[in-house]
Amino acid sequence: MREKATTLYFGPQHPGITGNMMIRLKVEGDTIVKATTEVGYLHRAFEKLQEKRNWLQSFTMMCRFCVPETDPMEELYARAVETIEGREVPERAKYIRVMVLELARLASFMLWYGGQNGSLGLYTMGQWSVGDRNYILDLFEELTGGRVYHMYIWPGGVRRDLPKGFEQKVIKTMDYLEKRLGDYDDLMFDNAIFKKRTQGVGIVDKDTAVEHGVVGAVLRGCGIKSDIRIDEPYEVYSKLDFEVPTSEGADIWARALVRRQEARQSIRIIRQVIDMMPGGAVYNKIPNPQKWKLPKGDAYVRVESVRGEVGLYAVSDGGTMPRRIHLRGAAYVHGITLLEDVLVGENIADVSAIMNSLGTCPPEIER
Amino acid sequence: MINDKNSQKISDFVQNWARKHSIWVLAYGTGCGAIEIPPTMTSRYDAERLGVRGAATPRQADVLLITGYLTTKTLKRVIRVYEQMQDPKYVIGFGSCTINGGMYYDSYNTIKLLDKYLPVDVYINGCMPRPESVLAGFGKLQELIAEGKANGAKEYKENHKYYRDNLRKIIGNKYEMPEYNW
Amino acid sequence: MKEIKAKLIEKIGGSFENVSVKDHDSNRLDFHVDTNVIPQILTFLKVNMGYIHLSHISCVDWIEDGEFEIVYIVWSPTEKLKVFVRTRISREKPLLPNIDMIWRQANTYERELREMYGVEVDGLVADKEFLLEDWEGMPPMRRDFKTEEYAQNTFWSRDGREDAVDVREEIIKRSREEIPDFAKKYSR
Repeated sequence: MREKATTLYFGPQHPGITGNMMIRLKVEGDTIVKATTEVGYLHRAFEKLQEKRNWLQSFTMMCRFCVPETDPMEELYARAVETIEGREVPERAKYIRVMVLELARLASFMLWYGGQNGSLGLYTMGQWSVGDRNYILDLFEELTGGRVYHMYIWPGGVRRDLPKGFEQKVIKTMDYLEKRLGDYDDLMFDNAIFKKRTQGVGIVDKDTAVEHGVVGAVLRGCGIKSDIRIDEPYEVYSKLDFEVPTSEGADIWARALVRRQEARQSIRIIRQVIDMMPGGAVYNKIPNPQKWKLPKGDAYVRVESVRGEVGLYAVSDGGTMPRRIHLRGAAYVHGITLLEDVLVGENIADVSAIMNSLGTCPPEIER
Repeated sequence: MINDKNSQKISDFVQNWARKHSIWVLAYGTGCGAIEIPPTMTSRYDAERLGVRGAATPRQADVLLITGYLTTKTLKRVIRVYEQMQDPKYVIGFGSCTINGGMYYDSYNTIKLLDKYLPVDVYINGCMPRPESVLAGFGKLQELIAEGKANGAKEYKENHKYYRDNLRKIIGNKYEMPEYNW
Repeated sequence: MKEIKAKLIEKIGGSFENVSVKDHDSNRLDFHVDTNVIPQILTFLKVNMGYIHLSHISCVDWIEDGEFEIVYIVWSPTEKLKVFVRTRISREKPLLPNIDMIWRQANTYERELREMYGVEVDGLVADKEFLLEDWEGMPPMRRDFKTEEYAQNTFWSRDGREDAVDVREEIIKRSREEIPDFAKKYSR
């Protein structure tokens, strides 16, 4: 007998949803037959506001695009402005940028550990990893003054040099986190429930991935080796030695394995960067921001965030204000069309886990 | 119950004391401030020692935490959620953008003054407020509850027309909303 | 890189008319094409040339020319080259061909274009509303939409303090705290 189809509203107020968005689920029994996303709950019109502010003022908005990982957005903006203007960045600033980006990536992984396991009922992991994430945020606080919004990587370099003894603190934190990552493995990857709930769930295979333009860990989870840090190296990534892990399973489990490896690679990169860091200036001073004009032109830059490739298209019309800033996040692809297709045939209980695994970040979609 | 002043005082005290120590926060991340909630709730800051913990549905929650800017689209849902909550209920405005619009003062899609639409008991300022300030905000709310001053729900009930008219001005007449969402 | 670019320019120039090319120093190549050949050119790039990843679709409002510029950015993982396909459409009656059968995620971009700029997309199947709800009037991302004016007319705003009085002492009295010595020198 065929069960009657019912419509369920998943969100916007739902403890399992990753942010403020809504999915309209059509279910038969507890199998989803159709999913429709509805976004726009976080649309603050950043791109409109940036057209009304000068190049430095609109920089302060960049980090607010996606809160779990704010530094890649600043990096994007800084690099777009530098590309349009042709501004040189000091060598030391490039190394510091990579260090900050990788620290942010690690912090975001910690949040993902908590979210992914929280969606499956393993709340211990959230207590551990989100608690440990504070150690990285402490580093950020010492470096930039803020826990979440840093506004540190800006056009022309970074805002200020590292404080005295900061490198040692970073290394100490990395030592601690490396140890903790082993503990997380014991809790998460040796866990039979986690294995059963994730294997064969939320499958994004190679064909779907290419058709949807999937990026980041989701793409690597289905066996395609793709990473902006390798494909189109920015800053000093071409000088660093790191691996891009891939996995074949194409399900949540495979993506979790990829992320597990990536967190370790991040630590490896941070260690290398600190070893190789040259001395010198960190900031190529910009002129008076009120009168700072960029030449006419446009730039499209990309960066690899935890969720995948994030791109920024910036257009200057030769004035003091941007003509157009357009950010395209990884969640813009993953969170709408891909999610709608992947959810079909899955169980209601797995929706939250799938969303976490795909890296759905509504503020990035809606901007 | 005997109807004299002292017994009323004692029962109020007991009631407020009990309310103060079990503040359940609705799990609704309405804006970017939701990112500082996990650290507040987990091991280092551990808000649960103050009786602050998450609640999954509006019916079980005591506090509506407005974490940051509200877009007009979210505002409708937030009002709906607030009206569904059971009576001892409080609202905390979290972040500069709930106070005066913050950096979104000229955005066409976010509201600037939260207290036109909801009776706010405590504001926490900052962008983003640190977990310590969130805890301080909860502490202030507890103080207000203990003194019997946090009666936003009563205010909302009495001035319901005022709040609803303000809401109508923003959302227009196209959006269907019952007089009160139970 | 040079050979790849030359080969691509030759192939595209041979197959399509009215294509103007702009080369950049970096791994980027710009094509300016007519609006009606957009689906063909993108299909050609995807199927024949290996530009399998649609990275971005953006729209720029050149109000002084009375035109929208639509930019499609595709990326080839094998050749490591970004190709920009640009076209201009009139602001009065903006109409774009649909490309969401080539890349599924283009659907989202087109929905946003339709809502934020009022660009109609030929044969797009999707909900009319994307980010906004019950929006009336001009699409908000157009240059002539005045967001500050709209915000002032629609929402209440908090009156600021006109004077520059130092209220720190008063606040501290209210919360029964004292200014520590090290902080006094920062006080005005």
